[in-house]
Amino acid sequence: MAKPLIVCRDLDIIYNKGKSNEFKALQGASTDIYEGEYIILFGASGSGKSTLMYSIQGSLPPGNGTMLIEGEDIYALPIEDRVYFQRYVMGIIFQQFNLIPSLTVLDNVALPMIFANKDKATRNRRAQSLLDRFGVGHVSHKITPMLSGGQQQRVSVARSMINDPRILLADEPTGNLDSVSTQQVMDKIDEINTFDRRTVIMVSHNAAHLSYAHRVYYLKDGVIVREVVNPQRKQIKPVKEGETIVTELEQLARLFPYDSIDTLRVKSLVNLLTQDYTFDQIERMERVVEFFIMGKIDKEAFIRTLMMPYERGGVGIPEREARRMSKVSARILHQADDIRRFRKQNDKQNAFFDQHKLSERLRDHLLKAHSLKLSKKQDNNLVEIIADRVVGVSNEDIFHERMENGISTGGLALTESESDDLARYFEKLIAQGVDVSYKT
Amino acid sequence: MRAQDLAQLSTRAFKTNPMRTWLTILGMGVGTGAVVVLVGLGFGLQEIILEQIVFGETLLSLGVSATGAQNLQLTSQTVIEFEENEHVLDAAPLARFPALVTYKGLTGNLFVQGVEPPYIRYAGVIAANGEVFGDEDMDNTNEIMLSPAVLKLFGIEDDEITNFIGEKVKFRLLVPADDGSDQIDEIFIDKEYSVKGITKEAGVLNALMMLPELRNHVGIEEYERIQVRVDTNEFLPIVENELIEAGYRVTALSKTVEQATKIFQGVQVVLATFGGIALLVSAIGMFNTMTVTLLERTKEIGIMRTIGAAPIDIKWLFVSESIVVGFLGGISGIIMGVGLGTVINLMLNFAASQFGGESVNLFAFPLNFLVFIALFSAGVGYLTGIFPAKRAATLNPLDAIRYE
Repeated sequence: MAKPLIVCRDLDIIYNKGKSNEFKALQGASTDIYEGEYIILFGASGSGKSTLMYSIQGSLPPGNGTMLIEGEDIYALPIEDRVYFQRYVMGIIFQQFNLIPSLTVLDNVALPMIFANKDKATRNRRAQSLLDRFGVGHVSHKITPMLSGGQQQRVSVARSMINDPRILLADEPTGNLDSVSTQQVMDKIDEINTFDRRTVIMVSHNAAHLSYAHRVYYLKDGVIVREVVNPQRKQIKPVKEGETIVTELEQLARLFPYDSIDTLRVKSLVNLLTQDYTFDQIERMERVVEFFIMGKIDKEAFIRTLMMPYERGGVGIPEREARRMSKVSARILHQADDIRRFRKQNDKQNAFFDQHKLSERLRDHLLKAHSLKLSKKQDNNLVEIIADRVVGVSNEDIFHERMENGISTGGLALTESESDDLARYFEKLIAQGVDVSYKT
Repeated sequence: MRAQDLAQLSTRAFKTNPMRTWLTILGMGVGTGAVVVLVGLGFGLQEIILEQIVFGETLLSLGVSATGAQNLQLTSQTVIEFEENEHVLDAAPLARFPALVTYKGLTGNLFVQGVEPPYIRYAGVIAANGEVFGDEDMDNTNEIMLSPAVLKLFGIEDDEITNFIGEKVKFRLLVPADDGSDQIDEIFIDKEYSVKGITKEAGVLNALMMLPELRNHVGIEEYERIQVRVDTNEFLPIVENELIEAGYRVTALSKTVEQATKIFQGVQVVLATFGGIALLVSAIGMFNTMTVTLLERTKEIGIMRTIGAAPIDIKWLFVSESIVVGFLGGISGIIMGVGLGTVINLMLNFAASQFGGESVNLFAFPLNFLVFIALFSAGVGYLTGIFPAKRAATLNPLDAIRYE
């Protein structure tokens, strides 16, 4: 059995020990990390995930416990010898990029090689080839403040790989990046793991990244609360049969990364009680619906995918149910367009007539969907109620309340269950039709 | 880390923060400049004095005269005895007679001194105007040199001194009668001597004449003084002691020079102390700047440490930066100091030439001293850098990287 590259046993790290602001950043942490693994240390801020990573990096001597890198107890070594690991065994990237602004991109990347006594020609050649590989070769002679965040992070990825380390440490590398750059950087890190076969240890609080990892260590309040194996990746860590079994909880943990194991157990049971479908099916259905909403697939394809057996990549829903789902979805998406038009008119602050017409159409949709017939007075009231809700004058509760109110006071005088159905359906329309941009 | 990389990394401040770096260098420069100017003034003063009296042979000579107490007389025999001493190269006598000098009808008292050319060298006689007697003048029978006071006697103004060279004077020697009485015989030398040069002896009325010429007119039995030329410096005190023990009075110019040097060393210490205070002030300023630089670079230090820089690399980065700043400060100080000294010298010399005075260099900057200052300021740079550097090296990289 292969020996782990990093062995950490019963690690305690206490900041400001003996002072009034003493803080136990890590307690009794034990991890085994194997060569070639992609490990994510996951947790909220203050959970101790970065502390664990910097302890592996060699900058945080533990109060108790041992940290073995390549079988060597690094904290038993004098500080000058520990530099060897930082220089040749580990590369590091940071959330803040941490490039040196007074140096060119090329010199920044070559810097670890300068400390490693390599001559200028060798290190410039290597730095340039890494920059080219990560798509930032064309900016190698600029200084770093002139680069975008995504470029800077790719430069720092190049810097981390310059001495060809076995381990890449990443401290929330995408925390300061937009979604496009995040994707680029995550892809590069994944490439370093899968193509270069380097061990990656990443600190993250972004659940979207968890699928990259072989294993995820969840940390909370300085304690590793659980270790979750990603069933989608072939494991490197030798798993003894029966020792760890992949359960639904692992899957749930990725869906709800911040929930405790108890909450996940609750979710598992509630799912059984309320839903006809498994988490696997729901996860897959979400992807299909996403494609449908984005217009990437049409109604027929939507039905087909929903119906297709799970083993063949579908959701595995009976045909009748699939058709009902597609009908409802299509109707909601169609009617949501009216909400969108209504809001657009509202932005222009004119053509009240059009808004009135749209409101009437929405009313007709709503009544048709629920097979309701109303009096003329009720119809007019509903148009008002809808207009107020779409414009945003009233919220969901008021909308609901007015449905139940007497007709003379502008309401519809519906029963509570009728109001519930109508309000719930209408909120779905609004959810699809209102462009949410959190402008202030 | 390689030396050239170290140099490149540690001189980044010239690009990133040129204003502050150059101001720091300037601060160091003013401090060292003050030292250079003040010590240069010390050297200058010393040279001015020593230039007047220091000649190689003069320093190796002893002036011997009789004390009179032990009935010692300086005669031709004494000269020979002196020369027999193994450490004595040569002995040159001086004979002296009171005399009357006549110039264009004016007559005054002076001493006529008869010497041989070597005496001129040993005693360090130099000419303020005209020429001094050389070895070829042994048989010169027509020329004499006068001390400046003699010219005053004749009412010659300072600006007319040069015209006096070549003028003719006549002497009457006053010689004690050889019959033992107190009477004084007057020997009239019936020839005119032309003035060859004016000496620098101040406060005495002397005329220098070649000894053989003097002998032509008067018999010389006793010398006033003998200059003994000792072969090397180390035997100077030995010969001096021997002569003193033999009852002679001995004066050594080297003593005077030694004393002058000592005095000027003292002067230099005082001047250097003032300069040193200026240097200390600028060193403290530089120390402060290095500390600020450390704070500013804290994050950078953290980054470098986490990507593989050893603590010693960090230390050297700081130390070499401060050495460079200190050294450049020293160089700029030297430029400023030497520049200022030279300008003052030029101004003084210009003023001197305007008012007919003699040109002097008030400031002198020996090369050794300048090299020392350059190295010394690099040393000061090292000292101001070493403490911030040590602190930088021992920073925890994580604390450093989070420092804003």
